[in-house]
Amino acid sequence: MHLYKTIQNFLFDQDYFVDLWQKKIHVYGFQDIITLEEQKIVLSFPNFQLFFLGTDFRVLKLSKNEILIEGNLESLQVQDGK
Amino acid sequence: MENKIWVDVEAKAKEKVFLRCYQRKIEIFEAKEEKGILSLKILEKDYAKIKRLWFVKVKKSRATGLLYWKEKIFTYRVLVVSIFFGFFLLFFISHIMIQVEVIHSNKEIRDLVSSSLKEKGLKKNTWKMSYEELKQIKEEILEEYPDRLEWLEIEIHGMKYVVRVEERKIETQKEEKTACHVVATKDGLVKEMIFQKGQAVVSRNDAVTKGTILISGIITKDGEEKGVVCAEGKVYGEVWYQISASVPMNYEVTERTNKKRWNLRFKNLYYDQLIFRSRLENYEEEKKKVLDIWGNELYFVVQYETKKEQKKYTEEEASNLAFEKAIEKLASTLDENEKILEKKVLKKEINHSTMNIEVFVSTLESIGEVQEFEKNEKE
Repeated sequence: MHLYKTIQNFLFDQDYFVDLWQKKIHVYGFQDIITLEEQKIVLSFPNFQLFFLGTDFRVLKLSKNEILIEGNLESLQVQDGK
Repeated sequence: MENKIWVDVEAKAKEKVFLRCYQRKIEIFEAKEEKGILSLKILEKDYAKIKRLWFVKVKKSRATGLLYWKEKIFTYRVLVVSIFFGFFLLFFISHIMIQVEVIHSNKEIRDLVSSSLKEKGLKKNTWKMSYEELKQIKEEILEEYPDRLEWLEIEIHGMKYVVRVEERKIETQKEEKTACHVVATKDGLVKEMIFQKGQAVVSRNDAVTKGTILISGIITKDGEEKGVVCAEGKVYGEVWYQISASVPMNYEVTERTNKKRWNLRFKNLYYDQLIFRSRLENYEEEKKKVLDIWGNELYFVVQYETKKEQKKYTEEEASNLAFEKAIEKLASTLDENEKILEKKVLKKEINHSTMNIEVFVSTLESIGEVQEFEKNEKE
């Protein structure tokens, strides 16, 4: 998956992207982690903030600008501004 | 590639651990949670950073990949070294031969075979030879002594070579001859006579030609025949030869330069090849066996560069060489009781870059040979 994403990123030259899977969320290119809780995760991007709301959120992988989360996503909100 | 480790941590707020890891730039490659213990796969260099988190209790850490094996080997180093040493010892013991036993009742045969085996490298305290090598040695020894040895077998019993030999017994039954003369085989001048049976017909300094009776088998007294025996004896005479020999004036010499290269040679029954490409055009090899595993041999090779040079003999050198060659040719036909009495150059000439020489040689050699005759034949 990592290789596929790397190629995809190289080809499309995206600053960020979010992949939603059945029970997993993959986010690439975020700037900072604002909140990291079991029911709520907030990530900041250059022009907006992304709110992941749900239950049993658990971090599986974490690096400088990439995160893989496992859990039940109930809603996703985008909020303008930092 | 950097080493990664697994770290088991205990913390009340797991999310806080991730957040702090993110803030302190600790990359988490994998995270698992089991029975309240959080396992994180991180870089080895980040371990100290995790330990510094005050709200985190690090339970234990374990390496992954190459580092894991390195640690395992280090932990069990005594066992690992013992296993390797054991294998080496086993290999060593099963490939070293500490005794060579030649089985035969005759000491002379035992000594003969032992010295021959030693010459061919089959001796005690050496590496075990392969089946092919033993077969070759066996054939070489049998070829070397065709009239002494009938059969030879080299067996390997543990750390010992057992060599079984069968002596060749040649039937030396002498055919009983009843009437024979000793006659001259060459023209010459009789110099010495030793006879056991028969009557001397010639005396010292008599010139004889080929076929002349030297010791007669017919015993006479006062001109009357007294009996017939088989004459026996040795007659030495001076024999003259004229021998020619040739030596080319030009010759080629191969000399080593100061350049040398190291290489490895792999050899087995089907393959004999240098491992690295040789960078020398002309060379001579000196090799030393370093490994032999079931007939697969590895040699350490030193290659000495050589160069060929054309040289020319002086007239004197060529003449001496041709003279020696001519004498050597004749000397090889003489036995230990025979000798060269006189030798001199008759003629020498250079023709088409070849030194041709004619030599006169006189020798003292056996000229008598037993020859049968019919009793009623008389002469």
